[in-house]
Amino acid sequence: MNPLEALRAAICATPGVRCDTWHLFVDPNIIRFFGEGLRETLLLSIASVALSFAVGLLFALARLSARRWVRWPAVVYIETIRALPVLLLIVYFGIKGTALFRPIAAPIAGEDFELSRFWAGVLGLSLYTSAVLAEIIRAGIQALPRGQTEAASALGLTYVHAMRFVILPQALRLMVPAMVGQLTTVIKDTSLVATIGVFELVRQGRVIYTQYFNPLEVFLYVAVIYFVICFALSQASRRLEIQAPKEAKVKIEELQLRDQVA
Amino acid sequence: MPGAIVVEFPELFLTGLWLTAQLSVIGSLGALLIGTAIALFRISPLPPLRWIGVAYVEFFRNTPLLVQLFFLFLGLGALGFRFWTTDTFVAIFRAAAAGMALYHGAYVAEVIRGGLLGIDRGQIEAARSLGLSYAQTLRYVQLPQTFRSVVPPLGNIGIALIKNTSLASTIGVAELLQAAEIVESRTFRTEEAFGAVVLLYLVLTIPASLGVNWLEKRMLIAR
Repeated sequence: MNPLEALRAAICATPGVRCDTWHLFVDPNIIRFFGEGLRETLLLSIASVALSFAVGLLFALARLSARRWVRWPAVVYIETIRALPVLLLIVYFGIKGTALFRPIAAPIAGEDFELSRFWAGVLGLSLYTSAVLAEIIRAGIQALPRGQTEAASALGLTYVHAMRFVILPQALRLMVPAMVGQLTTVIKDTSLVATIGVFELVRQGRVIYTQYFNPLEVFLYVAVIYFVICFALSQASRRLEIQAPKEAKVKIEELQLRDQVA
Repeated sequence: MPGAIVVEFPELFLTGLWLTAQLSVIGSLGALLIGTAIALFRISPLPPLRWIGVAYVEFFRNTPLLVQLFFLFLGLGALGFRFWTTDTFVAIFRAAAAGMALYHGAYVAEVIRGGLLGIDRGQIEAARSLGLSYAQTLRYVQLPQTFRSVVPPLGNIGIALIKNTSLASTIGVAELLQAAEIVESRTFRTEEAFGAVVLLYLVLTIPASLGVNWLEKRMLIAR
């Protein structure tokens, strides 16, 4: 017996290790099953990031507004949401999503409208992520030298034009690494949507282990899938680090620390 | 009124608050210990130790906390490991606390490593030429200065940790979020139950983030 087989035999002799289920993880049907979960995970992430970016941009601009009645609601929204657990928001939309959206959606979708669990999850994730992205975008805009805004208005550009053609193109470039970094957090956070019954990676894993009683193997397998994606993205984010002013980088990094952990 | 529902189910909400607080404190202390150890691994002159440090940080930062919790409770449970207790509730709580410490420890490690690397090399060289050993230099020169400069970022991780304790509800710890779900399912007063828990979370996290901001400002002045 070669050493590798001996090691395998020793591991398989440990009570609780289900070597008899290991073949499942290379079985084409099981791989397809996890693939469906992975697709759901990625769709959740993309939908959440897209929605969060749009909403986050609005709140970032509102928070930078000179008008107090525009600024304060944005501050309250951003700070309150960032202080709450994202799981709480997801669970809330999981329970109340349909009731909340029925009055709006009923005229189009009919009285029996039901908010799908997928979209309830996207809403919960986006509510949180939009507040985080708002802060990242704000930090990016603030990192630009004031002269940019002044030069734009001296040239006669309106606020919208200055934002559209001068400020945002530069600020967004500063934020690319932070945004990609945040994407890894969103991907990790989609696992929470399993709790409201969306069949993404973790939930598919649960289906497998309740059938074969091998949670140890299943969660290792699922962890490895997440790891491969998130590690690749975080390396990419590091590669994308561009020549940004040092203060800007520090500011964005500090902000991120709190939001990326969540 | 969210306040009213707390008075109706005081034991659920107060137990929830107490468990959230306990998880936060135990998790933070554990994360600080693990993080410091891993940071020392990462700056160690021995390559194998450095590799362990890198592997730890990358693995725990790039997998979801939820999966880690499931692994710790269900996965290790399948191996017969129940966190040295026969009481299931204690085992669940310990698994959750261990998960908090392991996951956030990876982030703490990166912050502390940054702090250690931020110290001027001249100081380390001075300490070594004064005859201090590697361990003594760490203990008396590097770590004390590091802990000062990393307080604000560590505070930010702490705030994230308080929020992340909510994930313990998924493996069955009756913390705040679980309390909200139980009360909601008994009364169907969703807004009140969640509103109460939102307020309780804000009571925990807002003072913490004000504290972190205050520390950040003080650190800037001190520098």
